[in-house]
Amino acid sequence: MIMLLTGMLATAVLAGGVLALAALGEVLAERVGVTNLGVEGLMALGAVTAVMTVSTMHSPWVGLLVAIMVGAVGGMVFAFGAVVMRANQVLCGLATTFMGLGLSTALGHSYAGQPVETTFGHVSIPLLSSIPIIGPALFGQNILIIPIYVLLPLAAHFIMFRTRHGLNMRAVGENPAAADAAGIPVMAMRFWYVTLGGAMAGMAGGYLTLTYVPVWSEGMVAGRGWIALALVIFAGYRPVIVTLSALLFGLVTALSFVGQAHNWPIDPAFLNMLPYIGTMAFIIVPVVVWHRMRRVMAAPAALAQPYYRDVR
Amino acid sequence: MATRAFQRLPTAPAGRILALRLVAIALSLCIIAGVLALSGHSPGMLAELILRSTLGSRFGLEDLMLFMCPLLLTGAAVTVCGTIGLWNIGAEGQFYAGAIAATGVALGLHGPVLIMLPLMTIAGILGGMAWITVPTLARAYAGVNEIITTLLLNFIASLLTYYLTTGPWRDRISGAQVSTQRLSVSIPEMWGIVHWGFPVAIVIVVGLALILSRTRWGYEIRIGGANPEAARYAGIPVRLRIISVMLLSGGLAGLAGMFEVAGTVHRLQGGMANNFGYLGIVVAVLARGSCLNVIPAALLMALILDSGIVMQTQQLSASVILAITGLILFMIAIGDELAHYRPVATKPAKGKAS
Repeated sequence: MIMLLTGMLATAVLAGGVLALAALGEVLAERVGVTNLGVEGLMALGAVTAVMTVSTMHSPWVGLLVAIMVGAVGGMVFAFGAVVMRANQVLCGLATTFMGLGLSTALGHSYAGQPVETTFGHVSIPLLSSIPIIGPALFGQNILIIPIYVLLPLAAHFIMFRTRHGLNMRAVGENPAAADAAGIPVMAMRFWYVTLGGAMAGMAGGYLTLTYVPVWSEGMVAGRGWIALALVIFAGYRPVIVTLSALLFGLVTALSFVGQAHNWPIDPAFLNMLPYIGTMAFIIVPVVVWHRMRRVMAAPAALAQPYYRDVR
Repeated sequence: MATRAFQRLPTAPAGRILALRLVAIALSLCIIAGVLALSGHSPGMLAELILRSTLGSRFGLEDLMLFMCPLLLTGAAVTVCGTIGLWNIGAEGQFYAGAIAATGVALGLHGPVLIMLPLMTIAGILGGMAWITVPTLARAYAGVNEIITTLLLNFIASLLTYYLTTGPWRDRISGAQVSTQRLSVSIPEMWGIVHWGFPVAIVIVVGLALILSRTRWGYEIRIGGANPEAARYAGIPVRLRIISVMLLSGGLAGLAGMFEVAGTVHRLQGGMANNFGYLGIVVAVLARGSCLNVIPAALLMALILDSGIVMQTQQLSASVILAITGLILFMIAIGDELAHYRPVATKPAKGKAS
């Protein structure tokens, strides 16, 4: 039983990391009022470029860095359309996803199906990794777990809710006209946070192929970008909660692995549906059961609305 | 602010949109040609080849119509949903659901074609409707974002198709992978390989255009999309209209799946939706909320898909088409926004708060 729990939690932490990164990036973008539906495509681009990089450079760090940069460039392309040109955010996001998925498949054509040899190896932090159940999951996997689950969300939380910059940032997402009147650079704020969100989506893709599923194949992102978008809504646009819900979501994924490993009498296809069904339940059930939730977890008021200085 | 040279209009004039879209498409084609030239292909030769084998040959034209058929319906599905201000990103899943339901009828029942085809059609429509039910109710009663719920169901539908075509419904006769056996019932062909689903789809799209522009129901939908508050104040049951429109949308996408199963592919296959659901979004965007415009928009999209086949013969992966579609969509989104701006004569600024 302990073995099972330890294994499940380890898988959950590993699988949830992908979602945690992408969802945290999307929280940043949505907090400044931009919905980036391109996450799925940027993750695919990050995943494939990480694989391509490590196949020649043999360093997971360089691979991850390239994935981050590719994600940032993709985020900038999206931001150019959605923020600078103020085009429809839904369309720009879908277009980014199409471009990302199409390009990544075309780029990764000759890498498809080959195992990635250079990945982030196992790192065991002495003492901490011998804590029963949670030790191996948090401190005995790869070096990125602690930054993803602890450092990044806490930093984002601190900046967002404890600094003046964070207040400005939230103001841009709630009421850009007022923020503009107060002298906050609305456009720059939106552009750079969307870029940062894109970089984190790229990083999530790189993390996916450099730790969790070390092989590139077409469609391997498999809707994780969309699940991340749903988690952002579920978590009420809060960095720490979004990270925890990514972990919860990792557990759902782990459950389907455990089911397949233990030969549960359910077809694997149905077990593979679990994450999607789970996400549906995540965003529908709380709102239905608990009506007050809608106000507490409300989206930023100016979400998905382009800002025109001269239109009232 | 200094004197502004441009003024933003709340609605963009149609002529300007058309002009900017042509520019957007031309620009996209230039970028694509540039990328192709850089990767060692000859864009000019490729363009000639594409034109010759799509519009210039009978096979190309037949393929074009076969591609148009599902695109007309998924495009219409996204368009009607957009009329009330909602995004149905799940046409892909509803397409599968319709295909599954129609296949279920074809495999489970036996009878004359005249009875089977209507039954399969009804099953396909109901399948698509069933697939959008949960997002519809969640949207209408709890305000849950329909973009994400409809989209997530695509993955579930695709997995279900995979399960059925490798499990209970797998092909036991010819042993084809991830596929059912060939269905005994099919939509009759009218011109080469083009089946009667194509004219039916056109009639449906035209009919929808009439319903949306000429009936009370259509009027209420349009008002509900333009201004939900005003619609509610005027006594329009917006919630019921949302439900009916979303179900209609799901039914249309399901019908597309049925046509594809019974007319084109003749069997249920994994991956048979071929992104038609997602491309339906592009068609709807190109159509700008008008069902009649869906026809030329689907034609353009079918041309792009058709040229994808040519590109595959030239050692270019089929996924390039998805990237190209994305680029065109992106350019058009920007072009549509720019169409809102009108140059104004620079006068001395009267007031800063204008």
